[in-house]
Amino acid sequence: MRRWLREQFDRYFGSDPVRLLFALGGLFFATLVVLALLYWVVGKVVTAGLEAWGWDLVRLLLGLLGVMVVVFGNALFLVWAERKVAGHMQIRIGPKEVGPYGLLQSIADSVKLLAKEIITPRFVDRPLYLLAPLLIFVPCLVAMVVIPFDARLQVRDINVGIVMILAFSSLTVLAIFMAGWGSVNKYSLIGGVRSISQSIAYEIPMLLSILPVVMMARSLSLKEVVKAQSPYWFVLVQPVAFLIYFVCAVAETNRTPFDLPEAESELVAGYHTEYSGMRFSLFFLAEYTNIFIVCALATTFFLGGYKGPVLPGVVWFFLKTYALIFVIMWFRWTFPRVRFDQLLNFSWKFLIPLAMANLLVTGGLLKL
Amino acid sequence: MVAEDLIKALEGGDLSIEEVPYQQRGYWFDIKAPKDRIVEVAEAIDEKGYYIEDILCVDYVDRLEVLYHFNHWEDPRRLSVRVEVAPSEPELPSIWRVYPGAAWHEREVHEFFGLRFKDHPNLAYLFLHEGIDFYPMRKERVEVPEEDRQLLNYLPAAAEEDTFWINMGPQHPSTHGVLRLILKMRGEYIEQAEPVLGYMHRMQEKMAEVRTYQQYYPNTARLDYVGPLAFSLCFVGAMERLCELEVPERAQYIRTITLELNRISSHLLWLGTFLLDLGATTPYFFAFDDREQILDLLEGLTGSRLTFSYYRIGGLYEDLNDGFLEGVKRFVERMWKRFEIYDDLVTGNIIFVKRTKDVGVIPKEVARRYGATGPTLRGSGVPFDIRQAEPYAAYGDLQPEVVVGERGDSYDRYLVRLEEMKRSLRVLEEALEKVPEGPYKLEKVPKKPVPGDVYFATESPRGEVGIYIVSDGSDKPYRLKWRSPCFSNLATFTEVVKGQLIADAVATLGSLDLVIPEMDR
Amino acid sequence: MSPQEVVRGALSLLKGMKVTIRAFLGPSVTCQYPRETLELSPRFRGHIKLVADEEGKLYCRVCGLCARSCPTGCIVVEGVKKEGEKRKTLTRFLLDFTRCSHCGLCVEVCPTGAVAFSQDYNLASFSKEDFYFDLVEEFRRRGGG
Repeated sequence: MRRWLREQFDRYFGSDPVRLLFALGGLFFATLVVLALLYWVVGKVVTAGLEAWGWDLVRLLLGLLGVMVVVFGNALFLVWAERKVAGHMQIRIGPKEVGPYGLLQSIADSVKLLAKEIITPRFVDRPLYLLAPLLIFVPCLVAMVVIPFDARLQVRDINVGIVMILAFSSLTVLAIFMAGWGSVNKYSLIGGVRSISQSIAYEIPMLLSILPVVMMARSLSLKEVVKAQSPYWFVLVQPVAFLIYFVCAVAETNRTPFDLPEAESELVAGYHTEYSGMRFSLFFLAEYTNIFIVCALATTFFLGGYKGPVLPGVVWFFLKTYALIFVIMWFRWTFPRVRFDQLLNFSWKFLIPLAMANLLVTGGLLKL
Repeated sequence: MVAEDLIKALEGGDLSIEEVPYQQRGYWFDIKAPKDRIVEVAEAIDEKGYYIEDILCVDYVDRLEVLYHFNHWEDPRRLSVRVEVAPSEPELPSIWRVYPGAAWHEREVHEFFGLRFKDHPNLAYLFLHEGIDFYPMRKERVEVPEEDRQLLNYLPAAAEEDTFWINMGPQHPSTHGVLRLILKMRGEYIEQAEPVLGYMHRMQEKMAEVRTYQQYYPNTARLDYVGPLAFSLCFVGAMERLCELEVPERAQYIRTITLELNRISSHLLWLGTFLLDLGATTPYFFAFDDREQILDLLEGLTGSRLTFSYYRIGGLYEDLNDGFLEGVKRFVERMWKRFEIYDDLVTGNIIFVKRTKDVGVIPKEVARRYGATGPTLRGSGVPFDIRQAEPYAAYGDLQPEVVVGERGDSYDRYLVRLEEMKRSLRVLEEALEKVPEGPYKLEKVPKKPVPGDVYFATESPRGEVGIYIVSDGSDKPYRLKWRSPCFSNLATFTEVVKGQLIADAVATLGSLDLVIPEMDR
Repeated sequence: MSPQEVVRGALSLLKGMKVTIRAFLGPSVTCQYPRETLELSPRFRGHIKLVADEEGKLYCRVCGLCARSCPTGCIVVEGVKKEGEKRKTLTRFLLDFTRCSHCGLCVEVCPTGAVAFSQDYNLASFSKEDFYFDLVEEFRRRGGG
C-alpha cells in the first residue's frame, strides 16, 4: 500500500520542481491558514476563560511559545529546503528517500546529530568553549521578540526595537570569538578572527542602510515602521538601501559568497571545527535562525512587513521572508567565494561610502 | 636555425654530436658529453632558449647513463644529451643553477639509482619517504650507504620569528589527488611552498620491466585517469615508432577522434573542480552533465568509462560501433550551445574574475626553466603545442589551432582551456567527415621489437607527455620512463606562489590542472 | 571601484543567477537508481564469462594463452584430456576478480573466442572470497551445458 502511494507520488511529481513547488506551496499555505485559525480560536478561549489571570502574561507566554515554534519549525524547514533547492539548481534532485520528497530528512539529520558522540578536546578553554553555542542563540531570540508577524502577532513591541536588535546582534560576534578562541586550534582561531572582522565590517553598512528607513518612519519601533509603509513599500523609495542591507545580511550570516570563515576547500575549517553532535547542531540552528531573522527584518523594513491584500498578514509575511531566503540560497549555489581582503575592501571602501551618501541624500530630501 | 647554432657553439673537444633519424628515434640530436662538462653544455643550451623536458637514468650494468632531454619552442627538434657515469663513482654536477626545474628530476634519479648530484640544494627523497635499503631501479641490488640514509624524511628547519608552518595535507577537499603542501606562512602570506609527492607512487616504471609490452599496456591508462588516452597513445606510438609500423589511416582518425573527446572531457572535469576549489558548487554538475555524454559515447565504443584499454600496438582493439559517429555529431552540436552556460555563469562573473586575475602569474622564463607545457605554458603567451610541433595520429591533416593567453595568470589559463575545448570541437567536426574506410589494425605485430631506444611525445590535456623506452630485443622493456607534464608544471608553483595569500595559492593550484597519479607514477 | 565597474559586476552576477534559476526550473538529470536503471552498452566490460556453441560445448581448449597474457596473473585454467577427444576439456577456470583490470587481453588473445565480457555489475558483497570466481561453475549456474 505504501509502495503504491510512493509510486503514484513519483509518477505525478517525479523530478518536476514546478509541480512540486505548487504542491508544497499549497501545503504551506494550508498550514499557515490552519495556524492562524488556531491562534484565533485559542485567543477566544483564552480571552474568555482566563481573563482573571492577566491577559498580558498569558499573551506573553503564548508569544514566546510561538517564537520557539517558529524557530524550530523554520530550522527544520530550511534544512530540507536548502538541500532541495541546491539539488534542483544543480540539475539533480535533493533528498527523496526519507519520507515523501525527503520531507522527513531534517528529522533524520537531527536524530543523527543528537546520537553523535560529543567529544570535548582536553585542552579547550572550558567556560568559553561550552558557553559559545548557547550564547550564539541569544541575539536571534531577542530579535524574534520584536518582529511583527502580523498586526497583532508580536510578542512585545519595544519602542526602540531597532536599536535593540542591532545591539544584540553584536553578541553574535562575541559568541563566535569565544568559539574560535576557546577551541585551542590554529585553524579555528583563524576562522574565528576572519569571521569577526567580516561581521564588524558589515554591521556598519547594515546600520547605515537602516537609518534612512528609520528617518522615513520617524520611529525606532518596528510596528511603526511597518505602519509607515502604507501607500508604498520602502523598497520603492530606498532601493539602494535595500540592496546594501541585503548584501550585508548575506555577509553577516556567513553565507556564500562571503563564507570564507567556513570555507571547506581552504585549509581552515572554521570556528565550529571542534564541536560535535548537539553543540554543532546548535551552531547550525543559529545560522539558519539568523538567516530567517535578517530576511524577516528585510521584509519588515523594506517590503511592507505583513501588509498585503486578501490573505492574512501572517501569510504575506512568511511569503516575503521565504522569498528572500530563497534568493539567499540562490546566491549560495551560484557564486564562488570572495577572497577575504577583497571582502573587507568591498565593505569599507565601497559599501560604507555608498550607504553614507544614501543617508545624506535621504536626509536632504526629507528636509525639503 | 637554433639547433645548428647550438651545434656550432658546442663543437669540439670531447663532445660528440650526431644527427639521428627522427622517424625511428623520436629525437633529432644525440650529444654525448663527459660528466664534468655537463654544466657548460647546459648553459650553452639554455642560452639558445631550450626548455628542459626530462632527466632520466638508465642502468646498463657496466655503466649508468644519464640522459637530459631538451626541446625548443620555435625549433622543436629534440636534443638528447647523454652522460656516462661509472657505477663505482656515481657523482655528477647538478644543473639546477641553469635549469631550476632540474632539481626535482635529479632528486628522482638520486633516489631510484643512487647517483649523487654535487651542489644540489636539497637532495632528499622525492617519492620514497619510508626509506629504502637498496636503490629500486638498479638491475642489481645496490645497498644504500649510511650518509644517504640521513636524507630520509627531511623536514624543513624550525621557523623564524613571525612565521609558522601549515600543512595543506594529503587529504584535500579539492579533488586534485593526494598532494601535500608544506607552506611557510607569514601571517596570511606564503613565504615558501614545499610540495611533498609520493603518496600515490606505484613504481610504474619498475612494473614495466617485468611485464611484456602487451601486458603493460593497461597500466598506461591508470597513470592519468582523467585523460588516459593520451598516455595510451604515447606508449602505443612509441612502440610503433620503434618497430617502424605503419598504422592504417582509419585507426589514426579514430584515435584522433577519441583523443579530442578525451581532451574535452578532461577539461570539463578540470572546470568543475577548479570552481569547486573557489567555492562555486554548481558548475561542477553542469560540467559533469556534459562529461556524461562523452563517457556514454566512449562506453559504447570501448566498453569502459574511465580507463579505456582501447588502443593496441598497430591499431585499435575494436572497430567503431554503430551510432558512434552520429553520437559524436550530436554531442558536438549540443556542446556548442552549452558554452553559453559557462560564459554566463563563470567567465564574466566578477567574483571569479577578481579571484583569478593576476593570481599565479607564470612568466615565460620561469615556464621555460622549469619545463612547463600545455595550457600552463600557453596561458603565458607561448604558442607551443606538440600536436603542431610533432604531429602524430591524424593531426598532420587536421591542424588544430593553438590557443594562447596573454599574461599567464589563472584567468588566462582558464580562458585557454575553455577555448581549447571549442577548438577540439572544430577538430572533431572536421575529423568526422574524413574518417576513411579500411582495416582498423595491423595483421602482424612483432612481439619483440628491435633493440634501441625511442622517445615519443603527445599532447595530453595537461601538457606534453613523453615516454622513453629502451628495448634490448626481448619482449619486455629494458627501461621505460614517463615524462609527466604535471611534474614540471607543479615545479613552477614553488616559485610562483611566493608572497601570495592562501586563497590565491588554492586558485593557482587549481588552475595548474594537476592529476597526482601521473605525477607520482 | 568605479561606478561602471560596479554596474558591470552586478550585471555579471545577475547573468549567473539567470543560469541557475533556469536549471532550477528545468528537469533534473538524475537517474533514480535502483528504481530506474540505465542501459549498458553491448561492449560493456563486466567480468569475463565462458562462451559455448549451440550444443552447449565450451569453446575453451585449455591452451592457457589467456592466463599467460594477463598482466596481473588472475587467471588459472585447468583441464583434463578425456579419452577419444582431440583437445583438453576444461574442468576449472579460476578468475581472481579482485585483481582483474578489465583490459581485455584475455578476450583478444583467445584463439577460439571462448572468453567474452559479461554485462554483470551487481556484484557487491561483504567478503573478498566471493570474488574468486570459478567460471565453469558460473557457466553451469547460468544454464549452460
